[in-house]
Amino acid sequence: MIITFWRIFQAGLRNFLRNAWLSAAATAVMMVTLILMTFSFISNQALTHTIKSVTDKIDVSVYLLPTVTPDQANSFEQRLEATPNVASVSYVSQAQAVANYKSENANNPQLLQALDIAGGALPASIQIKAKDPTKLDAIAGVVNQPINKTLQDPSAPPSYSGNRKTTIDRIVHFSSFFKKISLVASIIFVVISILIIFNTIRMAIYTRREEIEIMKLVGATNWFIRGPFLIEAGLYGVIAAVLALLFCYGLLLSGASKLGNYIDISSTVTLFRHYPVVVVLCEVIAGIAIGVTSSLLALLRYLKL
Amino acid sequence: MILFDRVTKIYPNKSVALSGLNLHIQPKEFVTIVGSSGAGKSTLIKLMTREEVQTSGKIVVGGVDYDTIPLRNVPHLRRRIGVVFQDFKLLPNRNVTENVAFALEVGGVRSREIKRAVPKVLQLVGLTAKRNNFPAELSGGERQRVAIARALVRQPKILIADEPTGNLDPKNAWEIIDLLLKINRYGTTVLLTTHNKEIVNALKRRVITINRGRIVKDEQEGRYAV
Repeated sequence: MIITFWRIFQAGLRNFLRNAWLSAAATAVMMVTLILMTFSFISNQALTHTIKSVTDKIDVSVYLLPTVTPDQANSFEQRLEATPNVASVSYVSQAQAVANYKSENANNPQLLQALDIAGGALPASIQIKAKDPTKLDAIAGVVNQPINKTLQDPSAPPSYSGNRKTTIDRIVHFSSFFKKISLVASIIFVVISILIIFNTIRMAIYTRREEIEIMKLVGATNWFIRGPFLIEAGLYGVIAAVLALLFCYGLLLSGASKLGNYIDISSTVTLFRHYPVVVVLCEVIAGIAIGVTSSLLALLRYLKL
Repeated sequence: MILFDRVTKIYPNKSVALSGLNLHIQPKEFVTIVGSSGAGKSTLIKLMTREEVQTSGKIVVGGVDYDTIPLRNVPHLRRRIGVVFQDFKLLPNRNVTENVAFALEVGGVRSREIKRAVPKVLQLVGLTAKRNNFPAELSGGERQRVAIARALVRQPKILIADEPTGNLDPKNAWEIIDLLLKINRYGTTVLLTTHNKEIVNALKRRVITINRGRIVKDEQEGRYAV
Protein backbone atom coordinates (compact mmCIF):
# COMPACT_ATOMS: atom_id res chain seq x y z
CA MET A 1 0.00 0.00 0.00
CA ILE A 2 2.75 2.45 1.01
CA ILE A 3 4.90 1.30 -1.94
CA THR A 4 1.98 1.84 -4.31
CA PHE A 5 1.26 5.31 -2.90
CA TRP A 6 4.92 6.24 -3.11
CA ARG A 7 5.03 5.12 -6.77
CA ILE A 8 1.88 7.10 -7.57
CA PHE A 9 3.45 10.14 -5.90
CA GLN A 10 6.67 9.72 -7.88
CA ALA A 11 4.70 9.43 -11.13
CA GLY A 12 2.73 12.58 -10.26
CA LEU A 13 5.93 14.49 -9.49
CA ARG A 14 7.51 13.27 -12.73
CA ASN A 15 4.47 14.41 -14.73
CA PHE A 16 4.53 17.78 -12.97
CA LEU A 17 8.16 18.34 -13.92
CA ARG A 18 7.73 16.96 -17.44
CA ASN A 19 5.01 19.54 -18.24
CA ALA A 20 6.96 22.36 -16.64
CA TRP A 21 5.30 25.19 -18.62
CA LEU A 22 1.76 23.94 -18.23
CA SER A 23 2.42 23.30 -14.55
CA ALA A 24 3.83 26.81 -14.11
CA ALA A 25 0.78 28.39 -15.76
CA ALA A 26 -1.68 26.37 -13.67
CA THR A 27 0.28 27.12 -10.50
CA ALA A 28 0.37 30.86 -11.29
CA VAL A 29 -3.40 31.07 -11.75
CA MET A 30 -3.93 29.09 -8.58
CA MET A 31 -1.52 31.44 -6.78
CA VAL A 32 -3.50 34.52 -7.86
CA THR A 33 -6.68 32.81 -6.65
CA LEU A 34 -5.18 31.98 -3.28
CA ILE A 35 -3.78 35.51 -2.88
CA LEU A 36 -7.24 36.91 -3.57
CA MET A 37 -8.82 34.48 -1.12
CA THR A 38 -6.24 35.34 1.54
CA PHE A 39 -6.70 39.10 1.06
CA SER A 40 -10.42 38.67 1.10
CA PHE A 41 -10.05 36.91 4.45
CA ILE A 42 -7.56 39.47 5.81
CA SER A 43 -9.61 42.49 4.76
CA ASN A 44 -12.77 40.91 6.11
CA GLN A 45 -11.17 40.32 9.45
CA ALA A 46 -9.45 43.72 9.52
CA LEU A 47 -12.62 45.59 8.59
CA THR A 48 -14.69 43.72 11.15
CA HIS A 49 -12.06 44.48 13.75
CA THR A 50 -11.78 48.15 12.71
CA ILE A 51 -15.53 48.67 12.85
CA LYS A 52 -15.67 47.01 16.24
CA SER A 53 -12.89 49.20 17.64
CA VAL A 54 -14.50 52.35 16.22
CA THR A 55 -17.97 51.51 17.46
CA ASP A 56 -16.57 50.58 20.87
CA LYS A 57 -15.62 54.23 21.23
CA ILE A 58 -19.14 55.39 20.53
CA ASP A 59 -21.21 56.39 23.51
CA VAL A 60 -24.00 58.73 24.47
CA SER A 61 -23.26 61.47 27.00
CA VAL A 62 -26.16 63.05 28.88
CA TYR A 63 -25.18 66.18 30.80
CA LEU A 64 -26.98 66.75 34.09
CA LEU A 65 -28.01 69.97 35.85
CA PRO A 66 -25.84 70.88 38.88
CA THR A 67 -28.98 70.58 41.01
CA VAL A 68 -29.49 66.85 40.30
CA THR A 69 -28.99 64.75 43.41
CA PRO A 70 -27.09 61.43 43.34
CA ASP A 71 -30.41 59.61 43.98
CA GLN A 72 -32.03 61.23 40.95
CA ALA A 73 -28.98 60.39 38.85
CA ASN A 74 -29.10 56.83 40.15
CA SER A 75 -32.75 56.31 39.21
CA PHE A 76 -32.05 57.82 35.76
CA GLU A 77 -29.21 55.27 35.38
CA GLN A 78 -31.57 52.44 36.35
CA ARG A 79 -34.14 53.52 33.79
CA LEU A 80 -31.42 53.54 31.15
CA GLU A 81 -30.08 50.12 32.18
CA ALA A 82 -33.55 48.69 31.66
CA THR A 83 -33.50 49.91 28.05
CA PRO A 84 -32.74 47.38 25.31
CA ASN A 85 -29.45 47.86 23.40
CA VAL A 86 -27.72 49.39 26.42
CA ALA A 87 -24.40 47.74 27.15
CA SER A 88 -23.33 49.81 30.14
CA VAL A 89 -24.21 53.00 32.02
CA SER A 90 -21.80 54.99 34.16
CA TYR A 91 -22.12 58.18 36.19
CA VAL A 92 -19.37 60.81 35.93
CA SER A 93 -19.49 63.37 38.69
CA GLN A 94 -18.49 67.02 38.26
CA ALA A 95 -15.15 66.46 39.98
CA GLN A 96 -14.50 63.32 37.90
CA ALA A 97 -15.36 65.23 34.69
CA VAL A 98 -12.84 67.95 35.55
CA ALA A 99 -10.18 65.35 36.40
CA ASN A 100 -10.84 63.47 33.13
CA TYR A 101 -10.67 66.70 31.14
CA LYS A 102 -7.38 67.68 32.74
CA SER A 103 -5.76 64.33 32.15
CA GLU A 104 -7.00 64.11 28.55
CA ASN A 105 -5.67 67.60 27.74
CA ALA A 106 -2.57 67.62 29.90
CA ASN A 107 -0.46 68.52 26.88
CA ASN A 108 -2.67 71.37 25.72
CA PRO A 109 -2.34 74.41 27.97
CA GLN A 110 -4.81 76.43 25.91
CA LEU A 111 -7.61 73.96 26.56
CA LEU A 112 -6.69 73.81 30.23
CA GLN A 113 -6.81 77.59 30.32
CA ALA A 114 -10.24 77.52 28.69
CA LEU A 115 -11.49 75.41 31.58
CA ASP A 116 -10.27 77.99 34.05
CA ILE A 117 -11.98 80.78 32.09
CA ALA A 118 -15.24 78.75 32.21
CA GLY A 119 -15.02 78.75 35.99
CA GLY A 120 -13.18 75.44 36.41
CA ALA A 121 -16.39 73.43 36.47
CA LEU A 122 -17.84 70.83 34.11
CA PRO A 123 -21.32 69.30 34.33
CA ALA A 124 -21.82 65.84 35.78
CA SER A 125 -22.90 63.35 33.13
CA ILE A 126 -24.19 59.87 32.47
CA GLN A 127 -22.17 57.91 29.89
CA ILE A 128 -24.12 55.25 28.00
CA LYS A 129 -22.50 52.55 25.86
CA ALA A 130 -24.75 50.89 23.29
CA LYS A 131 -24.61 47.24 22.27
CA ASP A 132 -25.25 48.21 18.67
CA PRO A 133 -24.05 51.79 18.17
CA THR A 134 -25.84 52.07 14.84
CA LYS A 135 -29.24 51.82 16.56
CA LEU A 136 -29.49 54.49 19.21
CA ASP A 137 -33.20 55.33 18.79
CA ALA A 138 -34.37 53.39 21.87
CA ILE A 139 -31.75 55.08 24.05
CA ALA A 140 -32.66 58.51 22.64
CA GLY A 141 -36.32 57.71 23.46
CA VAL A 142 -35.52 57.14 27.14
CA VAL A 143 -33.19 60.16 27.32
CA ASN A 144 -35.93 62.38 25.92
CA GLN A 145 -38.68 61.18 28.31
CA PRO A 146 -40.01 64.20 30.26
CA ILE A 147 -39.03 62.69 33.61
CA ASN A 148 -35.43 62.43 32.43
CA LYS A 149 -35.42 65.62 30.39
CA THR A 150 -35.94 67.73 33.54
CA LEU A 151 -32.66 66.44 34.95
CA GLN A 152 -30.63 67.50 31.92
CA ASP A 153 -28.71 70.69 31.35
CA PRO A 154 -30.64 72.51 28.58
CA SER A 155 -27.51 74.37 27.52
CA ALA A 156 -25.64 71.09 26.85
CA PRO A 157 -27.80 68.72 24.78
CA PRO A 158 -26.99 64.98 24.83
CA SER A 159 -24.02 64.11 22.67
CA TYR A 160 -24.44 61.12 20.41
CA SER A 161 -20.79 60.35 19.96
CA GLY A 162 -19.93 63.73 18.62
CA ASN A 163 -22.04 63.21 15.49
CA ARG A 164 -19.73 60.45 14.23
CA LYS A 165 -22.71 58.21 13.61
CA THR A 166 -23.03 59.20 9.95
CA THR A 167 -19.36 58.47 9.31
CA ILE A 168 -19.61 55.15 11.08
CA ASP A 169 -22.70 54.25 9.10
CA ARG A 170 -20.71 54.97 5.96
CA ILE A 171 -17.81 52.76 7.10
CA VAL A 172 -20.19 49.90 7.91
CA HIS A 173 -21.88 50.28 4.55
CA PHE A 174 -18.56 50.42 2.68
CA SER A 175 -17.14 47.41 4.50
CA SER A 176 -20.19 45.26 3.82
CA PHE A 177 -19.95 46.27 0.14
CA PHE A 178 -16.21 45.51 0.13
CA LYS A 179 -16.79 42.12 1.78
CA LYS A 180 -19.31 41.20 -0.89
CA ILE A 181 -17.00 42.33 -3.72
CA SER A 182 -14.02 40.40 -2.34
CA LEU A 183 -16.17 37.29 -1.89
CA VAL A 184 -17.46 37.50 -5.47
CA ALA A 185 -13.91 38.11 -6.82
CA SER A 186 -12.62 35.08 -4.86
CA ILE A 187 -15.41 32.86 -6.19
CA ILE A 188 -14.77 34.03 -9.77
CA PHE A 189 -11.07 33.26 -9.46
CA VAL A 190 -11.72 29.86 -7.87
CA VAL A 191 -13.90 29.02 -10.88
CA ILE A 192 -11.21 30.30 -13.30
CA SER A 193 -8.59 28.21 -11.48
CA ILE A 194 -10.76 25.12 -11.63
CA LEU A 195 -11.33 25.61 -15.36
CA ILE A 196 -7.64 26.13 -16.11
CA ILE A 197 -6.51 23.13 -14.09
CA PHE A 198 -9.35 21.11 -15.61
CA ASN A 199 -7.95 21.93 -19.05
CA THR A 200 -4.35 21.28 -18.03
CA ILE A 201 -5.26 17.82 -16.78
CA ARG A 202 -7.40 17.22 -19.86
CA MET A 203 -4.38 17.98 -22.06
CA ALA A 204 -2.20 15.77 -19.88
CA ILE A 205 -4.68 12.90 -20.29
CA TYR A 206 -4.59 13.41 -24.06
CA THR A 207 -0.78 13.52 -24.32
CA ARG A 208 -0.43 10.50 -22.05
CA ARG A 209 -3.15 8.39 -23.63
CA GLU A 210 -0.61 5.85 -24.90
CA GLU A 211 0.99 5.59 -21.49
CA ILE A 212 -2.45 5.13 -19.93
CA GLU A 213 -3.20 2.34 -22.39
CA ILE A 214 0.08 0.61 -21.46
CA MET A 215 -0.68 0.99 -17.77
CA LYS A 216 -4.04 -0.69 -18.29
CA LEU A 217 -2.39 -3.39 -20.37
CA VAL A 218 0.09 -4.32 -17.64
CA GLY A 219 -2.67 -4.47 -15.03
CA ALA A 220 -2.54 -1.08 -13.30
CA THR A 221 -5.58 -0.44 -11.14
CA ASN A 222 -7.77 2.54 -12.02
CA TRP A 223 -6.49 4.52 -9.04
CA PHE A 224 -2.90 3.77 -10.00
CA ILE A 225 -3.67 5.43 -13.34
CA ARG A 226 -5.71 8.33 -11.92
CA GLY A 227 -3.48 8.92 -8.88
CA PRO A 228 -0.59 10.73 -10.63
CA PHE A 229 -3.03 13.23 -12.18
CA LEU A 230 -4.43 14.02 -8.74
CA ILE A 231 -0.94 14.32 -7.24
CA GLU A 232 0.05 16.62 -10.09
CA ALA A 233 -2.92 18.94 -9.47
CA GLY A 234 -2.34 18.71 -5.71
CA LEU A 235 1.23 19.88 -6.29
CA TYR A 236 -0.05 22.95 -8.14
CA GLY A 237 -2.07 23.68 -5.01
CA VAL A 238 0.79 23.17 -2.54
CA ILE A 239 3.29 25.27 -4.48
CA ALA A 240 0.72 27.99 -5.21
CA ALA A 241 -0.26 28.08 -1.52
CA VAL A 242 3.33 28.54 -0.35
CA LEU A 243 4.01 31.28 -2.94
CA ALA A 244 0.70 33.03 -2.20
CA LEU A 245 1.43 33.01 1.54
CA LEU A 246 4.93 34.38 1.07
CA PHE A 247 3.49 37.18 -1.09
CA CYS A 248 0.68 37.99 1.37
CA TYR A 249 2.97 37.79 4.38
CA GLY A 250 5.54 40.10 2.79
CA LEU A 251 2.91 42.59 1.71
CA LEU A 252 1.15 42.52 5.06
CA LEU A 253 4.33 43.10 7.05
CA SER A 254 5.68 45.81 4.78
CA GLY A 255 2.31 47.57 4.67
CA ALA A 256 1.33 47.03 8.30
CA SER A 257 2.73 50.32 9.58
CA LYS A 258 1.11 52.39 6.80
CA LEU A 259 -2.19 50.55 6.82
CA GLY A 260 -2.33 50.71 10.58
CA ASN A 261 -3.34 54.36 10.39
CA TYR A 262 -6.50 53.51 8.48
CA ILE A 263 -7.62 50.04 9.41
CA ASP A 264 -6.86 47.75 12.30
CA ILE A 265 -4.82 44.81 10.93
CA SER A 266 -3.24 43.91 14.24
CA SER A 267 -5.44 40.83 14.67
CA THR A 268 -4.39 39.49 11.25
CA VAL A 269 -0.71 40.16 11.88
CA THR A 270 -1.08 38.39 15.24
CA LEU A 271 -2.71 35.41 13.51
CA PHE A 272 0.17 35.20 11.00
CA ARG A 273 2.82 35.56 13.70
CA HIS A 274 1.42 33.29 16.39
CA TYR A 275 -0.25 30.56 14.34
CA PRO A 276 1.94 30.18 11.24
CA VAL A 277 1.32 26.42 11.07
CA VAL A 278 -2.47 26.88 11.09
CA VAL A 279 -2.24 29.60 8.43
CA VAL A 280 0.04 27.49 6.17
CA LEU A 281 -2.16 24.41 6.67
CA CYS A 282 -5.36 26.28 5.79
CA GLU A 283 -3.78 27.78 2.68
CA VAL A 284 -2.29 24.44 1.54
CA ILE A 285 -5.57 22.61 2.16
CA ALA A 286 -7.43 25.25 0.12
CA GLY A 287 -4.90 24.89 -2.72
CA ILE A 288 -5.02 21.09 -2.70
CA ALA A 289 -8.84 21.14 -2.57
CA ILE A 290 -9.09 23.39 -5.65
CA GLY A 291 -6.44 21.38 -7.56
CA VAL A 292 -7.74 17.93 -6.73
CA THR A 293 -11.38 18.89 -7.36
CA SER A 294 -10.67 20.20 -10.86
CA SER A 295 -8.39 17.26 -11.65
CA LEU A 296 -11.05 14.82 -10.48
CA LEU A 297 -13.66 16.53 -12.66
CA ALA A 298 -11.34 16.24 -15.70
CA LEU A 299 -10.62 12.56 -14.93
CA LEU A 300 -14.30 11.70 -14.59
CA ARG A 301 -15.05 13.49 -17.84
CA TYR A 302 -12.12 12.41 -20.03
CA LEU A 303 -10.41 9.34 -18.56
CA LYS A 304 -12.55 6.35 -19.38
CA LEU A 305 -11.01 3.26 -17.83
CA MET B 1 -6.60 -23.23 -19.48
CA ILE B 2 -8.76 -21.21 -21.90
CA LEU B 3 -12.41 -22.03 -22.51
CA PHE B 4 -14.81 -20.17 -24.78
CA ASP B 5 -18.30 -21.67 -24.70
CA ARG B 6 -20.71 -20.40 -27.40
CA VAL B 7 -19.29 -16.89 -27.11
CA THR B 8 -20.95 -14.15 -29.14
CA LYS B 9 -19.81 -10.57 -29.32
CA ILE B 10 -21.94 -7.94 -30.98
CA TYR B 11 -20.62 -4.35 -30.89
CA PRO B 12 -22.96 -1.40 -30.25
CA ASN B 13 -22.95 -0.62 -34.01
CA LYS B 14 -24.59 -4.08 -34.48
CA SER B 15 -21.53 -5.62 -36.14
CA VAL B 16 -21.12 -9.25 -35.13
CA ALA B 17 -17.45 -9.94 -34.28
CA LEU B 18 -17.84 -13.43 -32.81
CA SER B 19 -20.76 -15.73 -33.32
CA GLY B 20 -21.26 -18.70 -30.96
CA LEU B 21 -17.52 -19.43 -30.84
CA ASN B 22 -16.34 -22.57 -29.03
CA LEU B 23 -12.67 -22.86 -28.12
CA HIS B 24 -10.71 -24.99 -25.71
CA ILE B 25 -6.97 -24.57 -25.20
CA GLN B 26 -5.03 -26.88 -22.88
CA PRO B 27 -2.26 -25.72 -20.51
CA LYS B 28 1.23 -25.48 -22.08
CA GLU B 29 -0.18 -25.55 -25.62
CA PHE B 30 1.25 -23.36 -28.42
CA VAL B 31 -1.71 -22.28 -30.53
CA THR B 32 -1.68 -20.08 -33.61
CA ILE B 33 -4.86 -18.25 -34.57
CA VAL B 34 -5.14 -17.15 -38.18
CA GLY B 35 -7.81 -15.35 -40.12
CA SER B 36 -8.27 -12.44 -42.46
CA SER B 37 -8.65 -8.89 -41.14
CA GLY B 38 -12.01 -8.49 -39.41
CA ALA B 39 -12.36 -12.25 -38.86
CA GLY B 40 -12.59 -11.76 -35.08
CA LYS B 41 -9.00 -12.42 -33.87
CA SER B 42 -8.61 -9.06 -32.12
CA THR B 43 -12.02 -9.36 -30.48
CA LEU B 44 -11.03 -12.82 -29.21
CA ILE B 45 -7.93 -11.33 -27.55
CA LYS B 46 -9.83 -8.32 -26.17
CA LEU B 47 -12.32 -10.70 -24.56
CA MET B 48 -9.45 -12.65 -22.95
CA THR B 49 -7.92 -9.47 -21.47
CA ARG B 50 -11.40 -8.23 -20.52
CA GLU B 51 -11.03 -5.08 -22.61
CA GLU B 52 -14.37 -6.13 -24.05
CA VAL B 53 -17.21 -8.10 -22.52
CA GLN B 54 -19.00 -10.87 -24.44
CA THR B 55 -22.64 -10.34 -25.41
CA SER B 56 -23.44 -13.96 -24.55
CA GLY B 57 -21.67 -17.24 -23.74
CA LYS B 58 -19.12 -18.22 -21.14
CA ILE B 59 -15.39 -17.46 -20.87
CA VAL B 60 -13.13 -19.22 -18.37
CA VAL B 61 -9.39 -18.41 -18.36
CA GLY B 62 -6.97 -19.98 -15.88
CA GLY B 63 -9.89 -21.32 -13.88
CA VAL B 64 -11.51 -17.88 -13.56
CA ASP B 65 -15.07 -17.53 -14.84
CA TYR B 66 -15.18 -14.03 -16.31
CA ASP B 67 -18.84 -13.62 -15.42
CA THR B 68 -17.99 -13.78 -11.72
CA ILE B 69 -15.16 -11.24 -11.55
CA PRO B 70 -16.12 -7.75 -10.43
CA LEU B 71 -14.85 -4.78 -12.46
CA ARG B 72 -12.37 -3.77 -9.76
CA ASN B 73 -10.58 -7.12 -10.06
CA VAL B 74 -9.97 -6.83 -13.81
CA PRO B 75 -6.48 -5.27 -13.32
CA HIS B 76 -5.50 -8.28 -11.16
CA LEU B 77 -6.73 -10.59 -13.91
CA ARG B 78 -4.63 -8.74 -16.50
CA ARG B 79 -1.52 -9.18 -14.37
CA ARG B 80 -1.92 -12.95 -14.81
CA ILE B 81 -1.99 -12.76 -18.60
CA GLY B 82 0.99 -11.50 -20.59
CA VAL B 83 0.14 -9.64 -23.79
CA VAL B 84 2.47 -8.60 -26.62
CA PHE B 85 1.36 -6.34 -29.49
CA GLN B 86 2.52 -5.59 -33.01
CA ASP B 87 3.33 -1.97 -32.09
CA PHE B 88 5.26 -3.00 -28.92
CA LYS B 89 3.54 -0.42 -26.69
CA LEU B 90 6.67 0.58 -24.77
CA LEU B 91 7.05 3.74 -22.69
CA PRO B 92 9.39 5.90 -24.80
CA ASN B 93 10.78 7.88 -21.87
CA ARG B 94 11.84 4.82 -19.89
CA ASN B 95 14.79 2.58 -20.60
CA VAL B 96 14.61 -1.19 -21.14
CA THR B 97 14.98 -2.07 -17.47
CA GLU B 98 12.41 0.55 -16.41
CA ASN B 99 9.91 -0.62 -19.04
CA VAL B 100 10.10 -4.18 -17.78
CA ALA B 101 10.08 -3.12 -14.13
CA PHE B 102 6.96 -1.02 -14.76
CA ALA B 103 4.84 -4.17 -15.09
CA LEU B 104 5.85 -5.15 -11.56
CA GLU B 105 5.63 -1.63 -10.13
CA VAL B 106 1.93 -1.28 -10.96
CA GLY B 107 1.29 -4.52 -9.06
CA GLY B 108 2.92 -3.16 -5.89
CA VAL B 109 5.91 -5.55 -6.04
CA ARG B 110 8.76 -4.52 -3.74
CA SER B 111 11.79 -2.80 -5.29
CA ARG B 112 14.15 -5.50 -4.04
CA GLU B 113 12.11 -8.18 -5.79
CA ILE B 114 11.96 -6.09 -8.98
CA LYS B 115 15.74 -5.72 -8.98
CA ARG B 116 16.04 -9.50 -8.77
CA ALA B 117 13.40 -10.43 -11.37
CA VAL B 118 14.13 -7.93 -14.18
CA PRO B 119 17.75 -8.96 -14.98
CA LYS B 120 16.65 -12.62 -15.14
CA VAL B 121 13.96 -11.98 -17.70
CA LEU B 122 16.24 -9.66 -19.71
CA GLN B 123 18.75 -12.48 -19.86
CA LEU B 124 16.02 -14.84 -21.09
CA VAL B 125 15.14 -12.53 -24.00
CA GLY B 126 18.82 -11.71 -24.67
CA LEU B 127 18.75 -8.01 -23.83
CA THR B 128 21.12 -7.79 -20.87
CA ALA B 129 23.58 -5.67 -22.86
CA LYS B 130 20.85 -3.20 -23.83
CA ARG B 131 19.27 -2.86 -20.39
CA ASN B 132 20.00 0.89 -20.16
CA ASN B 133 18.93 1.79 -23.71
CA PHE B 134 15.72 3.63 -24.50
CA PRO B 135 13.18 2.17 -26.98
CA ALA B 136 14.20 4.68 -29.68
CA GLU B 137 17.74 3.25 -29.58
CA LEU B 138 16.57 -0.32 -30.26
CA SER B 139 15.71 -2.24 -33.43
CA GLY B 140 12.16 -3.50 -34.02
CA GLY B 141 13.11 -7.02 -32.95
CA GLU B 142 14.74 -5.75 -29.78
CA ARG B 143 11.71 -3.63 -28.92
CA GLN B 144 9.49 -6.66 -29.30
CA ARG B 145 11.79 -8.61 -27.01
CA VAL B 146 11.44 -5.85 -24.40
CA ALA B 147 7.65 -6.17 -24.74
CA ILE B 148 7.92 -9.95 -24.30
CA ALA B 149 10.19 -9.48 -21.26
CA ARG B 150 7.63 -7.10 -19.76
CA ALA B 151 4.86 -9.65 -20.36
CA LEU B 152 6.94 -12.48 -18.88
CA VAL B 153 8.35 -10.78 -15.80
CA ARG B 154 5.16 -11.44 -13.85
CA GLN B 155 5.44 -15.13 -14.76
CA PRO B 156 2.02 -15.41 -16.39
CA LYS B 157 0.51 -18.79 -17.18
CA ILE B 158 -0.69 -17.47 -20.54
CA LEU B 159 1.16 -15.31 -23.08
CA ILE B 160 -0.89 -13.73 -25.84
CA ALA B 161 1.14 -12.47 -28.81
CA ASP B 162 -1.03 -10.37 -31.13
CA GLU B 163 0.76 -10.12 -34.50
CA PRO B 164 4.15 -9.82 -32.77
CA THR B 165 6.08 -10.16 -36.02
CA GLY B 166 3.91 -7.79 -38.07
CA ASN B 167 6.46 -4.95 -38.02
CA LEU B 168 9.60 -7.08 -38.26
CA ASP B 169 11.87 -8.32 -41.04
CA PRO B 170 12.04 -12.15 -41.51
CA LYS B 171 15.23 -12.56 -39.46
CA ASN B 172 13.87 -10.62 -36.47
CA ALA B 173 10.47 -12.28 -36.91
CA TRP B 174 12.02 -15.71 -36.55
CA GLU B 175 14.01 -14.63 -33.50
CA ILE B 176 10.75 -13.61 -31.84
CA ILE B 177 9.04 -16.90 -32.78
CA ASP B 178 12.04 -18.85 -31.43
CA LEU B 179 11.73 -16.88 -28.20
CA LEU B 180 8.00 -17.68 -27.95
CA LEU B 181 8.76 -21.38 -28.51
CA LYS B 182 11.39 -21.25 -25.76
CA ILE B 183 8.89 -19.61 -23.38
CA ASN B 184 6.36 -22.32 -24.28
CA ARG B 185 8.92 -25.02 -23.49
CA TYR B 186 9.26 -23.53 -19.99
CA GLY B 187 5.55 -24.24 -19.48
CA THR B 188 3.70 -21.06 -20.53
CA THR B 189 0.63 -21.42 -22.74
CA VAL B 190 1.26 -19.31 -25.86
CA LEU B 191 -1.48 -17.91 -28.07
CA LEU B 192 -0.14 -16.40 -31.28
CA THR B 193 -2.08 -14.51 -33.93
CA THR B 194 -0.31 -13.89 -37.22
CA HIS B 195 -0.72 -13.31 -40.95
CA ASN B 196 2.71 -14.80 -41.70
CA LYS B 197 2.05 -17.93 -43.75
CA GLU B 198 5.67 -19.07 -43.72
CA ILE B 199 5.86 -18.99 -39.93
CA VAL B 200 2.55 -20.81 -39.43
CA ASN B 201 3.51 -23.58 -41.84
CA ALA B 202 6.97 -24.01 -40.35
CA LEU B 203 5.75 -24.15 -36.74
CA LYS B 204 3.79 -27.39 -37.18
CA ARG B 205 1.67 -26.60 -34.12
CA ARG B 206 -2.07 -26.35 -33.53
CA VAL B 207 -3.65 -23.81 -35.90
CA ILE B 208 -7.15 -22.38 -35.45
CA THR B 209 -8.63 -20.57 -38.43
CA ILE B 210 -11.33 -18.02 -37.79
CA ASN B 211 -13.67 -16.57 -40.37
CA ARG B 212 -16.58 -14.22 -39.78
CA GLY B 213 -16.50 -14.80 -36.04
CA ARG B 214 -16.55 -18.60 -36.22
CA ILE B 215 -13.87 -21.30 -36.08
CA VAL B 216 -13.75 -22.84 -39.52
CA LYS B 217 -10.73 -25.08 -39.02
CA ASP B 218 -8.87 -26.43 -35.97
CA GLU B 219 -5.91 -28.74 -36.73
CA GLN B 220 -3.23 -30.11 -34.38
CA GLU B 221 -0.46 -29.68 -36.95
CA GLY B 222 -2.13 -27.08 -39.09
CA ARG B 223 -1.14 -24.98 -42.05
CA TYR B 224 -1.98 -21.44 -43.04
CA ALA B 225 -5.18 -21.49 -45.07
CA VAL B 226 -7.06 -18.18 -45.20
